[in-house]
Amino acid sequence: MEEKPSGSPASFIDKPVIPGDVVLDLSDMTNQTIKLGGGLRQDFDSIVAMKAGTLRFTKPNKYWVETSQKRYVPCVGDSVLGIVADSRADNFLVDIKGPTLAYLPVLAFEGGTRRNIPKFEVGTLLYVRVVKANPGMNPELSCTDASGKAAEYGVLKDGYNFDCSTGLSRMLLRSPRCPVLEELGKKISFEIAVGLNGRVWVNAGSPSLIIVVSNAIMNSESLTGVQQRIMVDKLIQNLKLSS
Amino acid sequence: MEYVSPEGLRLDGRRPMEMRQIRGEIGVVDKADGSAVFEMGNTKVIAAVYGPREVPNRSQQMNDRALVRCEYTMANFSTGDRMRKPKGDRRSTEISLVIRQTMEACIMTHLMPRTQIDIFVQVLQADGGKSRCLIAAIGTRSACINAATLALSDAGIPMRDLVTSCSAGYLNSTPLLDLNYVEDSAGGADVTLGIMPKLDKVTLLQMDAKLPLDIFENVMQLAIEGCKAVATYIRQVLLENTKQLEYRRGT
Repeated sequence: MEEKPSGSPASFIDKPVIPGDVVLDLSDMTNQTIKLGGGLRQDFDSIVAMKAGTLRFTKPNKYWVETSQKRYVPCVGDSVLGIVADSRADNFLVDIKGPTLAYLPVLAFEGGTRRNIPKFEVGTLLYVRVVKANPGMNPELSCTDASGKAAEYGVLKDGYNFDCSTGLSRMLLRSPRCPVLEELGKKISFEIAVGLNGRVWVNAGSPSLIIVVSNAIMNSESLTGVQQRIMVDKLIQNLKLSS
Repeated sequence: MEYVSPEGLRLDGRRPMEMRQIRGEIGVVDKADGSAVFEMGNTKVIAAVYGPREVPNRSQQMNDRALVRCEYTMANFSTGDRMRKPKGDRRSTEISLVIRQTMEACIMTHLMPRTQIDIFVQVLQADGGKSRCLIAAIGTRSACINAATLALSDAGIPMRDLVTSCSAGYLNSTPLLDLNYVEDSAGGADVTLGIMPKLDKVTLLQMDAKLPLDIFENVMQLAIEGCKAVATYIRQVLLENTKQLEYRRGT
């Protein structure tokens, strides 16, 4: 924040903004190279918010508006959970809760060749990575990491998946680990996959455990850290009583 | 009829430059991507936004910008007499068009090419008496636009600025802010204005009567003030919502 001599623009950082708010004025900044993330646009010398959310800043020069939505806007590099909607000769069509269906090329798997093409039924849940997200084009997915390894990406078998807001999924992925997952992890062993598109997959030893974990996560959106811990404690006590 | 008493009070006890009570709430429809309820006095409107999503009708798809659609309906129970109105009558078509054009001006459609944004607006409760449905419908325009703005920003659709709307009129040689049903049906001039408050731009201006230019300017100025007051309130609602999320996430 050193590069802003006047105090006023800096005061917007970590504060809620509304569409139309001028959050930065380039003309009174010494270092005029900044990187804009989602929810901001440049209008001549001013940077204007176009979504309601919280303005975030990381050094040296990145700005973005953090929001929580029900619909996901694809972004390169995001790990998401998608559901296969259709399969074509070269691509699977995958629903990632975005504006359009995403393409998953049949060769975008570790060691993928024409010879061994994976077969997915419609409705299969996949953990995938967004590799292309251009406006006016369907986003493209991949089941490998940047070096071509499978690296946890792929089909999610069994378990239970549910939808949430993008804000909640970002909270679950945050480090230090969010309270609800930390508390649950102390008492219950379970598997979880969180997609940035607001989809969560949970698997555990028994259906009742899966229900407890997924309910705890869904309820945690409207609770503070302390409240989350209390809620998880109560759930686990109930679980012990009933078993 | 006397619409402003000698003491300077209107029929519902407001001052000429006083607005009706406004209230807004977002996130009321679970399935929608964004939704809001907006109340202006006795008028209550619900708005739901879906999108950006794929265009079902390929022939309507535009390669350089998003398609914005708007559907305005009045609930059968919204007025005193229960009326079965055919869907798509001329009045609702007109108001749908007005809302669509107003919102399209603020949505950054070029960022979402080949997609569609649907705005559904329904009047739950229309201010007004028994059967004068036309006036009741006209009077809900500003509430509809305000509800749509809230719902759009709840959906996180990129917008240039908020659009807020308010009406003003001229009765008993007094400019009046935010006409209610009785004043609306008095037959005087009625100016509905929509502005983008931060950019200071007008996106909607409608008037159903004639006014001398100097008086019109006064009335319009009053409507602008009203719009700005609505904008301040809508800002508060959105800020409050963001703060809530922030607080809950314990940052």
